[in-house]
Amino acid sequence: MATCPGCGVPLPDGEDFRYCEHCGYDLATGEPAPTTGQPDQQKPAGRWLTSAGPPLACAGCGDTWFGVEGYCETCGQRRPSGEPHSELDLGVVAGVTDVGKRHHQNEDAMGIGVLPGTLLAVVCDGVSSSTRPDTASHAAVDAATRTLLDELAGGAEPDRAITAAAGAAQAGAALAAGAQPGTNPPSSTFVCATVSADRVTVGWVGDSRAYWLPEGDGTPACLTTDDSLAGRLAAAGVAVAEHPAGPAGALIRWLGADAPDAAPHVVGFAPTGPGLVLVCSDGLFRYRPTAAELAESVRAAPQDSLLAIAQSLVQLALAAGGVDNITAVLLPFPPPDAEGVPS
Amino acid sequence: VSEQAAFEMKVYENQYLPVGGETVDAVLTVSASGAGLRSAATAPSAAEVIMVDCSGSMASPRTKITEAKKACGVAIDTLRDGVAFAIVAGRNDARMVYPVDFQLVPASAQTRAEAKAAVDRLTASGGTAMGQWLSLANTLFAGHPAEFKHAIMLTDGQNQHETPAQLAAVLRACEGRFICDSRGVGADWVARDLLPIASTLLGTADGLEDPRELPAAFQAMTESAMGKAVAEVSVRVWTPAGATVRFVKQAHPQIEDLTARRTEVNARTGDYPTGAWGAESRDYHLSVQVPAGAIGEELLAARVSLVSQDQVLGQALVLANWTDDTALSTKINPRVAHYTGQAELADAIQEGLAAREAGDVETATAKLGRAVQLAAESGHADTAKLLGRVVEVIDERTGTVRLKQKVAGVDAELAGVRSVKTVRVKNT
Repeated sequence: MATCPGCGVPLPDGEDFRYCEHCGYDLATGEPAPTTGQPDQQKPAGRWLTSAGPPLACAGCGDTWFGVEGYCETCGQRRPSGEPHSELDLGVVAGVTDVGKRHHQNEDAMGIGVLPGTLLAVVCDGVSSSTRPDTASHAAVDAATRTLLDELAGGAEPDRAITAAAGAAQAGAALAAGAQPGTNPPSSTFVCATVSADRVTVGWVGDSRAYWLPEGDGTPACLTTDDSLAGRLAAAGVAVAEHPAGPAGALIRWLGADAPDAAPHVVGFAPTGPGLVLVCSDGLFRYRPTAAELAESVRAAPQDSLLAIAQSLVQLALAAGGVDNITAVLLPFPPPDAEGVPS
Repeated sequence: VSEQAAFEMKVYENQYLPVGGETVDAVLTVSASGAGLRSAATAPSAAEVIMVDCSGSMASPRTKITEAKKACGVAIDTLRDGVAFAIVAGRNDARMVYPVDFQLVPASAQTRAEAKAAVDRLTASGGTAMGQWLSLANTLFAGHPAEFKHAIMLTDGQNQHETPAQLAAVLRACEGRFICDSRGVGADWVARDLLPIASTLLGTADGLEDPRELPAAFQAMTESAMGKAVAEVSVRVWTPAGATVRFVKQAHPQIEDLTARRTEVNARTGDYPTGAWGAESRDYHLSVQVPAGAIGEELLAARVSLVSQDQVLGQALVLANWTDDTALSTKINPRVAHYTGQAELADAIQEGLAAREAGDVETATAKLGRAVQLAAESGHADTAKLLGRVVEVIDERTGTVRLKQKVAGVDAELAGVRSVKTVRVKNT
């Protein structure tokens, strides 16, 4: 039996394949497979994690048998795209997401990544009124985290990397709708942050937020402007509630097959001292909408690790009612030295 | 089979349920098409028994027996070569017309000619005991290896020479063994004999006012039988734990409640028989009761498959989503609404006619009035026309009617036997 020169896996008999089904080796030209998903020799090694990935067991009945259509074969519940509770920890960047107390499934998704000298995080919040919002948010986080890491590793400026990541997130969210998107396809918000030795850059579409929480007596600030009517008014200097309810808070931009415009807003700044970047969904900041309140909550949290702070913030939202899914991801500025980064 | 015959299934439902909602209704349209459905090479082996009423009344008017003989001849000529067949004469008892022995013979030029000659010699005398006729057909089919077994039954009168219980017992014995299409001819047959036969034996029932319609009707029934490409097809319904099937009804071309015909496949799956399929399209109305879910929850309320000999021919999913958006949850799917109305129409006709026969003018007027209204609303012109022979329509919009004093007996029977026929929803 013939085997693939690239990976040694046996090739199917009697079939004339151009590429190895296992590794993608080009059997006609002898070129090795493109190294997507594997560390590029030319690029620094990075690591990333996301909360995307369906749970092993059904939340409804605990059974582990799902049919090909994605429904539990015992109780019929649809298998969601993510776990109700996830914790991601790369030491130098960490996050927690939780389904909360009212929602049936976790429509929030998060991703974190680390490169020598650079940290990144992505948070997407599925739009609850859309169809299967968890599919959009998890697909968007998965695509955006990989793209952001890959672009930054390839030397792209944070602005360009974020624009590329938002494009990948939009593609992922739109594809989650499948072949027939229908009138109300899966939709999601998007926010991401990169932290390098001299700069913090954030990009977003929708109303998930990033905050700058400096150490010492610096002034905490919300770095993003919600893509809602209220957010636009606030940006124009009109006084509105920090977390407005009702029509004023309704999204005017989002990711998904019916997104009117998915280009991200991107802003960056050079902090003058150390601090934390908090990337979060409205399930958290609805209870502590101002940057000052969030800074206070972070200061009050146990400081054992970034993960401990993120856990504490999620607990705070749960204790306050947990009416929505909650996600909090923390990135320190400046990033720890290159040697502090696990490889 | 599935390579040549394609079964397409489409689901029509409003999958959005309100908070606490527990009922999921869906209409499934199943359409069979493809080259394999018209190829004799891939058709299942078939057997055909034709039961002709030869009671004394078939001689008056004389056209009944002469047209019935012609109709038998046309049916015999329509049989494919090799299809096993027999002709039975029905009176107080059932007798073999062709062949003489109690068996089926393969259709050939010779057997067709012999059978037609035997049919030509039929005479009308004696009574009517349909259970006896069906019993003989059942005996003839029993043990025969044909994959698809079909019978045609013609009668011109009521089932006088046996009790309804006797006929019912025979129908139970025949259920699942063959399919039977029955026809009443003339003015003396009754719908209450034919409807249970069609229902139990998964066939059609109808009345023919003019005996001269018989040859065309026999040809159509035989052609349809010969066009069956897949025998013994079932609708298989999987429902999740905690759910129950409220009902499974064929909704088009005629209403047939299949709910009680369920055979268990496993704890969550049951099969409902649909008989044999040719190139045709049918609609099914499925109603499932599910445990109410949380807002945002999506449930697979049913997985509906079409199966033949454990081979899945087609599959469709019935979903449920719970929402607090009443704009979504209060919509009624037009097809579900339509067939709910068609079922009500059939009930109104049958109950109205029964009340009329029992002399309950008030109930009859109310029910038949409602039927006139429903027939008009759903564009069911044939039924509206038939109802117009039983009641005088004053206002079809409000369902205001008056019972006609002089009604030919057959008009009520036609309205009754055709009450289960449905029309499809108008495309909007």
